[in-house]
Amino acid sequence: MTILAQSIDGEAVTTKLAMRMEDSLQAFAVRAACFMGEMDVPFSEEFDGHDFGATHVIAYVGEEPVGTVRVRWFQSFAKPERLAVIQRFRGHNIGQVLLERCRKLAETRGCNMLYVQVLPGDLSYWEKMGWRRLVSEETSSGAKQIVAMVKAVDPSKPLPDVEAPEVVVLRPEPQLDSSGRPLSSASN
Amino acid sequence: MQCYALRAAVYMGEQHCPYWEEFDGNDYTATHLILYVDGEPAASMRLRWFASFAKFERAVVLKRYRSLGLFLPFVEWAKDMALKKGYTKAYLHSQRRLWGIMERAGFHKVDDRIFHFSDHEYGALVCDLTAPDCQVPTVFTDPMILNRPEDRLDMPGILEQSMERGASNPHAGWNNDRRAN
Repeated sequence: MTILAQSIDGEAVTTKLAMRMEDSLQAFAVRAACFMGEMDVPFSEEFDGHDFGATHVIAYVGEEPVGTVRVRWFQSFAKPERLAVIQRFRGHNIGQVLLERCRKLAETRGCNMLYVQVLPGDLSYWEKMGWRRLVSEETSSGAKQIVAMVKAVDPSKPLPDVEAPEVVVLRPEPQLDSSGRPLSSASN
Repeated sequence: MQCYALRAAVYMGEQHCPYWEEFDGNDYTATHLILYVDGEPAASMRLRWFASFAKFERAVVLKRYRSLGLFLPFVEWAKDMALKKGYTKAYLHSQRRLWGIMERAGFHKVDDRIFHFSDHEYGALVCDLTAPDCQVPTVFTDPMILNRPEDRLDMPGILEQSMERGASNPHAGWNNDRRAN
């Protein structure tokens, strides 16, 4: 188990849930920096309409907001999304700190499965943290741009045998049963 | 929200500006301009209003829209807006590497001073705005013109439509009952 960062250059690493509008703006700024600034994702895809139905977790180094993740809640699983850490603060496991906060949050809600969709290039990052593919490599089609992964909230309890539909959860909440943005433009 | 995202993308994402320096507390005293390309927010600028000049700040064009030549027309839009409010001077701090493009936008250095903040070297530039062809607002301007949306002082606003309803003073009874004065 990797030891999670407690401080960077004497500044404490802390996390909190966004409780006020200003907190959400900090989460949005971090995501805009990473996804729009670095990865060139358009505004309307990054801010896709799920932000006001999700829980936002923010990581701070001292007073500075440096990382964020949002969690969307489904009946049988919780879905961390839009994990982002400002470039110069990477390499300190802040992503892991954020995901651990998500895990604990899910635990307090009685949720027992975390589900993420990741880019193929990020697979090893998630595998190192104990996530496994929802669908084995052999059965997923070659053209797929994202990979679904799951992790148990309580490591001592095996995951139930449920599968979350891969495509549906990308869609805007009021339209879960109609088609959303194309998979090829999904960033997370 | 959209201009925040653009500025975070460019200043925090590309230029590594700390959050608290980028969002410095002046955002809620300023006018924000946003330029759209095909419905996507592509550029933004913040304008602050001083007594003798308008200060242009935080001008960004998102990386994917930078080859379209949007910056100069965007600055012209900001200058036009300042003009319509009666300003004859636009002032800004520009990173040294951008002095060339600011000169093409009609700005010139105020003096030789170079100062630095948020990890960049800046110079102060100014642009004299040529007299507008529209009426500049003064305190004697039709009050309802001054009530119009900031960027559409030349078009009737929603409050002018409300004049049709007359002055029924719907709160008058409430006031008389509850307030001593």
